[in-house]
Amino acid sequence: MSRSFLFRRWQLYVMLILPMTFFIVFKYLPIYGITIAFKEFNVFKGIAGSEWVGLDVFKSIFSQQGFYTALRNTFLLNGLDLVFGFPAPIILAICLNELRMKMFKKVSQTLLYLPHFISWVIIGGMVYQVFSTNYGIVNLVLKEIGLGPFPFLSDKFHWLATYTSVGIWQGVGWGSIIYLAAITGINKELYEAADVDGASRLRKIWHITLPGIRTTIIVLLILKIGDMVDIGFDRPYIIGNVMVRDFSDVLSTYIYRIGLESGQFSIATAVGLFQAIVGLVFILGANYLSKKTTDEGIF
Amino acid sequence: MLKGQQDAYNLNQMTQGGQEMKTLKRVGYPVFILVLCMAIVAGCGNSGGGNGAAPAEGSDKKDSGNNKDRVTLKVEVFDRGNSPEGVTVTNNEMTKYVQENFGDPNNIDVEFVAIPRSEEINNLNVLMAAGTAPDVIFTYNQGAAYSWAKQGGLTDLASAIDEHGPQLKEYLKDSLQYGVFDGSQFAVVARRVHLQKYSSIIRQDWLDQLNMPVPTTTEETYETLKAFKDNKLGGDRTIPFAFALAPDSYEPVIWSFIKEQSDEARYLRSVTIGSREYPILMDGHKEGVQFLNKLYNEGLLDPDFALDKDKKKKTENFVNGHSGLFTFDTGTAFGGESSTVAMLEKNVPDASVVPLLPFTDFEGKSRQPAYTPAGMYIMVPSFSERSAEAIKYLNWMAQDEVIQFMAFGEEGVHFDMVDGFPVGKDGDVGAKLLYNSGDMLIVTNGIDFGSAEKNREYMARMVQEKHREMAKQSMEFSDKDAVQQPIAFDKPLDSEAKYSVVMLEKYEELLVKSIMSSEANFDKTYDAAIKDFMDTAGNEVFAERKAAYEAMK
Repeated sequence: MSRSFLFRRWQLYVMLILPMTFFIVFKYLPIYGITIAFKEFNVFKGIAGSEWVGLDVFKSIFSQQGFYTALRNTFLLNGLDLVFGFPAPIILAICLNELRMKMFKKVSQTLLYLPHFISWVIIGGMVYQVFSTNYGIVNLVLKEIGLGPFPFLSDKFHWLATYTSVGIWQGVGWGSIIYLAAITGINKELYEAADVDGASRLRKIWHITLPGIRTTIIVLLILKIGDMVDIGFDRPYIIGNVMVRDFSDVLSTYIYRIGLESGQFSIATAVGLFQAIVGLVFILGANYLSKKTTDEGIF
Repeated sequence: MLKGQQDAYNLNQMTQGGQEMKTLKRVGYPVFILVLCMAIVAGCGNSGGGNGAAPAEGSDKKDSGNNKDRVTLKVEVFDRGNSPEGVTVTNNEMTKYVQENFGDPNNIDVEFVAIPRSEEINNLNVLMAAGTAPDVIFTYNQGAAYSWAKQGGLTDLASAIDEHGPQLKEYLKDSLQYGVFDGSQFAVVARRVHLQKYSSIIRQDWLDQLNMPVPTTTEETYETLKAFKDNKLGGDRTIPFAFALAPDSYEPVIWSFIKEQSDEARYLRSVTIGSREYPILMDGHKEGVQFLNKLYNEGLLDPDFALDKDKKKKTENFVNGHSGLFTFDTGTAFGGESSTVAMLEKNVPDASVVPLLPFTDFEGKSRQPAYTPAGMYIMVPSFSERSAEAIKYLNWMAQDEVIQFMAFGEEGVHFDMVDGFPVGKDGDVGAKLLYNSGDMLIVTNGIDFGSAEKNREYMARMVQEKHREMAKQSMEFSDKDAVQQPIAFDKPLDSEAKYSVVMLEKYEELLVKSIMSSEANFDKTYDAAIKDFMDTAGNEVFAERKAAYEAMK
């Protein structure tokens, strides 16, 4: 049976070759490079030629204050994103779903997706123009109405708010696509039945829409928690600055500095490995908890 | 982000369609086999590649055998993305000149390898690690050079220079010694002709309006800046002192506050980061930062200076007439029509500037930093087999007529001699030849005309005529009481190489936090920042500096 299936669907397997090659060449073979974390890596001797040093590299990382700061900040920024950034696309998707005017819905959807396609470098420039303390447009307005100026970029606590909200602005539209798709999949008859029963809009959202996309929400939540130690490089690096480095220095920027700028590849690799292991623990933990409590999980 | 979303899509589909799940399980086995096959194929490919390398090398040798010793010398060249249309940094009139005048007579193919200027170190690090770096590499980054030398990645060039580089040796003289690390000549260090580091100008028209003289001491400068602010001479946005988080802003101020001058103090209480010396523990450093703190709190600096690491805002503020005092890297503010001063005069028609020495130290001297006479580090990687050819190339370049051609082109075609100085012809006749002259003529940084006065005169000729006298005066000021930095040890220090990036960041943090703190909190903030610096890297670096100094004595 399986043979004939293979035979009938051979095109599918051929199509699989390319992605598989990609994964083997770029994801599996480089795993060998992890050994750098356990070696005194000398670029001229290569990975194989460098000497084994056991766990020395990890010892040196765990004795560096900078590493703990970066780790704490990674959790802090990701935590803020989880608390404020995660619900945002859900709320937006529900709002969009409730819109009745087709044109308006389409236009606003497109406008909301747009920021996703702007590179962080450009967003960084915009943020600087908009939020700078003295001549940023926001502060100019606030000053006029007697409220400001606020140090959005130069005070570390204000900066956290700037960082989080810019992230939401950039990602919320794009993030809502998946929820909108899930909402489309909900059986229309449920809404009609609710209408007949005289349910209000909010009731329908609460009892039909939200339960309908619960699976999607949970899957994405688990993935998000798995990414807690993993943080993109561009956003903190570009939006951050010297004045807020207490909060803006995260693991990815730390690795960049130590590994590429200072050429200490062993330390950078070890931090990366540490990140991967903690990430694995998180995702397994989140999945376990989710299965225990809601019977939903991703594996 | 994108990837995460895709994963989410896939998983979403999987969880929603139980049917598909079963299908997946059914096909799981064949897929597994397929994966296994692929892995084997990939493995074979790998080992095949390994074997394949050997014969390729053999055929290579055969090729060169046929061609009777014709060899290829690969030379790095910076790509600054400024090539004129139709040429590239690796193929232009200058590369042809090199090939015809050096390559062909010596039976060498000179091949230039472009390295993006701004990604220089990252690129070279990767090329060095892969063993594919050019035979001649260069960088201004001392730390990178040290780190390659330490890891055994560079060729000792002493014997090659003795054998093939008599002219080079004579030309470089003292600067060659800067390329000796741990007793080996790991780098050929180019000459640096202009040692001036920083200069300052102030708005003459503002001074006239206030009826004030050009300030000559730090105290007077402070009073002047205050007066600029109080009278709002640059409008509501007046930023009396154009200040950025960049060395050309803070170094001139801080060094003028340092009270210690001895070599011992410099060895034991300052650190070298990159090519700069930071007197962080010296007597007077704190006062220097405190002075900046005072300026900040009185609104004499840009409140967002810490965001301005590339000096863009600083220059913008000055050319738009918002700033009065402007410090800059010598040689940058005066020049052609797009120079800072020319732009200011264009934007603010009444504006005029005058060079000055704004900061004085405790003795009333204007102590300021200067460069050492060493330019870029030119090196040959240890895996290169072309060290002899590399030195021959540099030796050829160190001849007067070659230097003259590579710097100015051909007399009568690209330039005319006026008063004994080459003056470029109008238009862009030399553009395709000379646009990256500084990156091609690597044995010297600047052209030496024999005396400081003549060199100044030549530099001034690059400047619009109406600013020439000022430019000369400004350069003369930059020489006054200047101290060459950094003070060097006889070997690279491991800790300084290891912590160079971290130290610079911590130092910037120290500056930003201390300058931006309230005056009442200054002491506390400054001390905490120093402690942070010392805990992160300082203690280790200073311990090594002390040991190295003791050993050197």
